[in-house]
Amino acid sequence: MAEVAFIIIAAITLASAFFVVFSSNLMYSGVALFFTLFGVAGLYVFLYADFLAATQIMVYVGGIMVLILFGIMLTNKIASTDLRQANRGRFMAGLSAFILFLLISAIAVTTQWHTGSPQFLDTTVAKLGMMILYQYLLPFEVASILLLAALIGAALLSRKK
Amino acid sequence: MSNFSSIAFYLPELLLVLTILAVIVVDLIPGLKRFNWIIALAGIVFTGVLLYGDSGVSESLYLGTIASDPFAYFFKWIFLIAGFFTILVSRHTHALRGADLPEYNALLLIVVFGLFLMASATNLVTVYLGMIETVSLPSYVLAGILKNDRKSNEASLKYVIFGAFSSGLMVYGFSWLYGLTGSMSLSGIQQGLAGVQEPLALYMAILLVLAGFGYKISMVPFHFWTPDVYEGSPTPITGFLSVAPKAAGFAILMRFFYSVFTTNSLTTIAGVDWLTLIALLSAVTMTFGNLIALQQENVKRMLAFSSIAHAGYMLMALSILSPDAIKAVMVYLTMYLFMNMGAFFMVIFAENQLNAHTLEDWKGLGRKAPFLGALMVILMMSLTGLPPSAGFVGKLYLFAVVIASKKFYWLAIVGVLNSVVSLFYYFRIVKAMWLFSPADPKPVKADSVIGLSILLFTIPALLLGIYWTPIINLIDKSIGF
Repeated sequence: MAEVAFIIIAAITLASAFFVVFSSNLMYSGVALFFTLFGVAGLYVFLYADFLAATQIMVYVGGIMVLILFGIMLTNKIASTDLRQANRGRFMAGLSAFILFLLISAIAVTTQWHTGSPQFLDTTVAKLGMMILYQYLLPFEVASILLLAALIGAALLSRKK
Repeated sequence: MSNFSSIAFYLPELLLVLTILAVIVVDLIPGLKRFNWIIALAGIVFTGVLLYGDSGVSESLYLGTIASDPFAYFFKWIFLIAGFFTILVSRHTHALRGADLPEYNALLLIVVFGLFLMASATNLVTVYLGMIETVSLPSYVLAGILKNDRKSNEASLKYVIFGAFSSGLMVYGFSWLYGLTGSMSLSGIQQGLAGVQEPLALYMAILLVLAGFGYKISMVPFHFWTPDVYEGSPTPITGFLSVAPKAAGFAILMRFFYSVFTTNSLTTIAGVDWLTLIALLSAVTMTFGNLIALQQENVKRMLAFSSIAHAGYMLMALSILSPDAIKAVMVYLTMYLFMNMGAFFMVIFAENQLNAHTLEDWKGLGRKAPFLGALMVILMMSLTGLPPSAGFVGKLYLFAVVIASKKFYWLAIVGVLNSVVSLFYYFRIVKAMWLFSPADPKPVKADSVIGLSILLFTIPALLLGIYWTPIINLIDKSIGF
């Protein structure tokens, strides 16, 4: 039963991701991205990452997706731009990307990955909180400086003058 | 060391953060607005004072996410010197008049903070956060700060796109390392890899990680952004980008490869021969940089390609895995800091006074400003690596390491040939300055701050070529992760 659900969610994620990349209409790509991000949230559920899945839906699907769609709608002409790729080397690029894909999958399948003993927690929130405010306290604080930089930069670039 | 007791060893960075906040807040107070650059400079000076107190410290901080060790200490000085002079010179750059300098200073200080983090990171999370995010993100904005200049817009956009792509590849590489070892700390990964017998997966991880680091040091084939970003950015930023993030890139590259992909007996891990890979990349990088630089007419663009070539020279030593090789790279970076930033200050002078961008515009510059012209000849000599200059000593150490290891003789030959090629284009600048009489022979005077900065950076570029013992002594003490 779980396998069937997994295959369905993975298929939705992949199919909509393909649509994001190959659609020539930005609006369609934006809407397809909605399903991709939802699918990724589903994959998190299969990894027992409940908090991450909820955050994914709230932040990405709920917040960032809406922002992207608003951005597309409020920007002149961008919605009607044809995004089709017209590279001269697109056959070669496609071929090399495909070969790289085969190579990576072959290596990934044959590699003996590190497997710790899996822990099945009822909820991951407590553990995540401890990680963020104890083990990874410094990166957590540095991220706030990073956000400050992003804020200043965005204000600077969008200001008229 | 626990989070709380780590604070005592984290004072320079904390002061840097306070300075960033002060620069932003002061900008909001009408009467104090014009003092923001003094605050920025004073902040850097006092950070230096606090940093001096950290000399000789070797501690793992914040539960192993970063380290305060002699190696990081050495690089932090390079970042502070580069940051200080960039802020100082920016105020006297005509192209930046009318730009938003308070925000500019704040962003530059954030980059310096990120560089500090990059040089001391010992965990995949801090490597990524310091390197890609805290250094790159403000740099994108700084490159595009001249909003009405199309070239600056282009620089910013290209920088973002290449940066996002290569950091994506790097993080994907990290995920392979994590998947193989189940650890995020560099030492943990090294221990984990000792038992791994998967050369293919390791090759994959090394290639992907190299994409991220290679982008920062503009190593071929991850160099495509370099010429356009260097040409389009305001010149003080170009000078800064060509030295500080490159030094940080080498710092993290050396720390990462030395402490992850190397076993304790100084051999490469799991039989993966990444040394030959780096040797090849080094040869390609320097040859490409030098050959393309030959054809450039724009001085800034020429220096951009030459900075790619310099990355190639330093990679040469990196293909030899020994403390001596790391020492050689550090010596070269010190010399490179002075000679390359000095050359970019000279470009600022030419742009300010004569609006000169191409070699054609530079013609007769030496006759119009003989003293600065003479200093530029010294800087060009140093960049080429002619004795007696700092560049010569730097190259001497690099070549000595390569030849002493008896592993890549051919690389030393490629390096020497490349130096000969570089002589040609560096002296095209000298030739343009001195061998042509200017159309308008009226002498030009440099802005005193810019003139003084050029002088201050030329003195070490010459002096360290004659008497370099103090630098070597300092670096000898700075090797130790």
